[in-house]
Amino acid sequence: MTTLFYLTMLIALLAALQVVRGLNAVHALLHLIVALLALALLFFLLGAPFAAALEVIVYAGAIMVLMVFVIMMLNQGDAAVEQERAWLDGASWRGPGLLCALLLLELGYLLLASDTGSAGWRPVAAAEVGRALYGPYLLLVELASMLLLAALVGAWHLARALKNRRGEES
Amino acid sequence: MDTVRSSPEHVESPHSSLEVLRSAAPGLVGQRTADGIETCWVPRDQLRALLGAAQRQAFEMLFDLTAIDERVREHRQEQPAADFSVVYQLLSVSRNRDLRVKVALLEEDLTLPSICDLWPNANWYECEVWDLFGIRFDGHPHLRRILLPPTWEGHPLRKDHYARATEVDPFSLDAARQDREQEALKFCPEDWGMQRQSDDSDFMFLNLGPNHPSVHGVFRVALQLDGEEIVQAVPDIGYHHRGAEKMGERQAWHSYIPYTDRIDYLGGVMNNLPYVLAVEKLAGIEVPARAQCIRVMMSELFRIASHLVFYGTFAQDVGQMSPVFYMFADRERLFGIVEAITGGRMHPAWFRIGGVAQDLPRGWERMIREFIDYLPARLDEYDSMVLDNRTLKRRTRGIGVYSSAEGLAWGASGPGLRATGLDWDLRRKRPYSGYEQYDFEVVTASGGDCYDRAWVRAEEIRQSLRIVRQCLDHMPAGDYKARHPLTTPPPKDRTLEDIETLIQHFVNSSWGPVIPPGEAAVAVEATKGMNAYYLISDGGTLSYRTRIRTPSFPHLQMIPLMSRGLFVSDLIAIIASIDFVMADVDR
Amino acid sequence: MAEFAVIIFRALALLLALVLSAALLTWAERRLLGLWQDRYGPNRVGPFGLLQVVADMLKLLGKQEFVPPFADKPVFILAPAIAMSTMLLAFAVIPFAPGFPLADLNLGLLFFLAMSSLAVYAILLGGYASNNKYALLGSLRSAAQVLSYEVFMGLALLGVVLQAGSFSLGQIVEAQRELWFCIPQFLAMVLFFIAGIAESHRLPFDLPEAEHELTAGFHTEYSGMKFGMFFVGEYLGVILISSLMTTLFFGGWLGPVLPPWLWFLLKTLFFVLLFVLLRAALPRPRYDQLMAFGWKCLLPLALLNLTVTALVLL
Repeated sequence: MTTLFYLTMLIALLAALQVVRGLNAVHALLHLIVALLALALLFFLLGAPFAAALEVIVYAGAIMVLMVFVIMMLNQGDAAVEQERAWLDGASWRGPGLLCALLLLELGYLLLASDTGSAGWRPVAAAEVGRALYGPYLLLVELASMLLLAALVGAWHLARALKNRRGEES
Repeated sequence: MDTVRSSPEHVESPHSSLEVLRSAAPGLVGQRTADGIETCWVPRDQLRALLGAAQRQAFEMLFDLTAIDERVREHRQEQPAADFSVVYQLLSVSRNRDLRVKVALLEEDLTLPSICDLWPNANWYECEVWDLFGIRFDGHPHLRRILLPPTWEGHPLRKDHYARATEVDPFSLDAARQDREQEALKFCPEDWGMQRQSDDSDFMFLNLGPNHPSVHGVFRVALQLDGEEIVQAVPDIGYHHRGAEKMGERQAWHSYIPYTDRIDYLGGVMNNLPYVLAVEKLAGIEVPARAQCIRVMMSELFRIASHLVFYGTFAQDVGQMSPVFYMFADRERLFGIVEAITGGRMHPAWFRIGGVAQDLPRGWERMIREFIDYLPARLDEYDSMVLDNRTLKRRTRGIGVYSSAEGLAWGASGPGLRATGLDWDLRRKRPYSGYEQYDFEVVTASGGDCYDRAWVRAEEIRQSLRIVRQCLDHMPAGDYKARHPLTTPPPKDRTLEDIETLIQHFVNSSWGPVIPPGEAAVAVEATKGMNAYYLISDGGTLSYRTRIRTPSFPHLQMIPLMSRGLFVSDLIAIIASIDFVMADVDR
Repeated sequence: MAEFAVIIFRALALLLALVLSAALLTWAERRLLGLWQDRYGPNRVGPFGLLQVVADMLKLLGKQEFVPPFADKPVFILAPAIAMSTMLLAFAVIPFAPGFPLADLNLGLLFFLAMSSLAVYAILLGGYASNNKYALLGSLRSAAQVLSYEVFMGLALLGVVLQAGSFSLGQIVEAQRELWFCIPQFLAMVLFFIAGIAESHRLPFDLPEAEHELTAGFHTEYSGMKFGMFFVGEYLGVILISSLMTTLFFGGWLGPVLPPWLWFLLKTLFFVLLFVLLRAALPRPRYDQLMAFGWKCLLPLALLNLTVTALVLL
């Protein structure tokens, strides 16, 4: 199990690295999907199969599909790859790279310093997740749903405004 | 939409239109033709005035627009001097009349004013005349080669253009020429009158065809898309052009008949009909009643065959897989009958000048009766499977609509025009080949959309069955071929009795009939609309000019009108509902 | 270790059986369509034309492995592999007989949903990598279609989950001992079947490949075995949806007299035939009509079903 865990972690990290390094937007997205799948597997190995399934269904299966969808529509050609290559030269690497390294150090320190421990690994069933969401976390769930509703209405409004403008022209 | 109504019994004195039109064009000169269509010559500068006046005189449709190379024509009595003449044939549906207007042009100045603003379908016709004759039209929005590739040299329907490849050097495609041809094929949206982007989106250009499962042959539609929505659809034809009109000028009158079969290749002998009717008009042949009845029967059988193909492919293009197999199976039965009678299946070339090739074989009644008893039940089944299907209705109702007035202005005819509610059917309005004796209904619908076009055709199959049944019940006795010297091949039974008939037989069978000089155009209600042959004889064994007016040509021109703002799937339904074959468009 | 070997053996056996039955299904479909369309279908190669499958396979294998020069090569090759592997993986949780799902996951149903949501990548990426406009239009259509219909599918299935009280497919079957779910969850069954057709993009929901509009949609540029994998993937999808219909609504392996696996097979076969019959019978709706039908008709129905089920159970 532990071997599997570290193997999956390695895959997730490598894929994530490729997301940043990749020149082709669609390839980068594919690596992101791999990273997400690896993450789902990590959840599974950590005893949260429900979270793992949702990770695949929602993130990899729906949200990323939309991302790929949009990137496809943008019709990226060789020009986009060139632009990406220009952005990835040394000069623009250094700043973000340094900051990320700092964050990594910080994370490492926190992980080592605090004692989260490996105790209490046990599978979390779907029913438990449900009870937790609609019990102690009810307020958060409701808030999130309101936020999403607002986003939905906003998106609808934006799309509709575009149509109206076109209607006036013709 | 019923602003235009046609009346069959509208009789006026033969030259009344011309007298009225003379006020618009004082330079008008009349001409007598074998077909009796009012024909006049008009000076170039008065052409637009005359056509405008004619349009106001309820000539709603530009039926045909073509040209004649007059340079080597001998019999041009009472006609103005001309190297080329351009012919406009107008049709008034409301008055049931024709008008033919000709303009004489000299070789050094081959230009004419365009009439695209008067009749929108003049656009393609003028392009065709430019392509094939090299006559320019000033004020045309986009004069281009429409049937031939843009790199073609010369104008093939001119008499000095070669007709056979053996008359010129062998064809070779060297690197330079290949580059030139490739360059000409490059797609440039601006040439097609398309923009590359609007304020908020980049357009996508999709090349639907020339090889695409749903374009029924080699036909191309250049699409300007916003997502899947069609901003513009520009049809591109000419991939199936075989020079049928040019071939007419080097085939004997008789030996051209098989070529006509291949114009609307689903219509079989229906194609022979307008051709032989036009030749008979030139030759003055009266066709015996039995031959007429056989012709009607065979034509209606082929109308059924063609409509069955339409019905099946229409369902298939809307995504329904099975009907086409049932309908092709029925068509196969029909071909069995056609084969028993004519010996051919799709292209029997069975009508002859003055009659038909053979008498009906023994036992034909039984075969046909079995078929017409069998088909109606199947048709009911197809209706419940296809036309009553809710998904299909949703796909085709209100899609690809045009009104009667639009249809007339664009030269539409046949079931497409009848689907708009106009009861224009040549079989009823101008009965030929004895159609006045038959009892049938002219099927009309009112929506003018894809669904109605399909519905009208489905009903027409039933009407055709009615006609065939009447032919079956009342088949007259008598000759299947006229006893006229120009009948080809002439009846043989009397050849050994008198020398005149023997000589005529020998002449007609060896170099073909000599048709007296003159002009005649005959239109019939073919499977897809009005199909007309405009023949000019210069008193020889060959036609001087063979003009084929096909219904599909103007129908395809309407695609931009019908498809704007719809989706790609709608375009497929529209294309399916037009019912065309590319040979009928490009000839 | 022996246990592990058994699992491997079972997995391989299942894999082989599935690919074989998908291949056989191509033959069965053509024969059935022939039967319903007054023609023969393939009947020349071998008894009843059965070896046609082999002939087709050999033909596809013998074809040149062609990747168009303008395509995105790695993605182009990846796409058909995704199509086939996601479908095959989803079969891991199907209980063919008591104790014979390959993996008796607690969240079996969710695993199926996860796999079917990944399957859309095959089409999306295939369309993208082909660098062809028809393929692009096809894959855009399919992405929109599959994403939407997945929502209704998930919602429809929740009714079953509520009723059975588990995501495990084995337990869902057991819960139907008294009454098959096709009766209390009738609405869910209809919704799931419709969404299932859309998921496996078969006629009348075959808009991604609609050959009359988009020539062949997302796989326009594919040939040879890569095309074959898409093809097999599609048939696997048909079998998958059919076996889920059996499992979720028609009592899975339950049935008198006959052995359980045979019951499962017969029920699944019935739905496979239904798929073929649908293809023979129905025309294709337009893209926007399909989407409107989904969001305006199926979604409210799915929500209604869920609410009513929850109320009844409470």
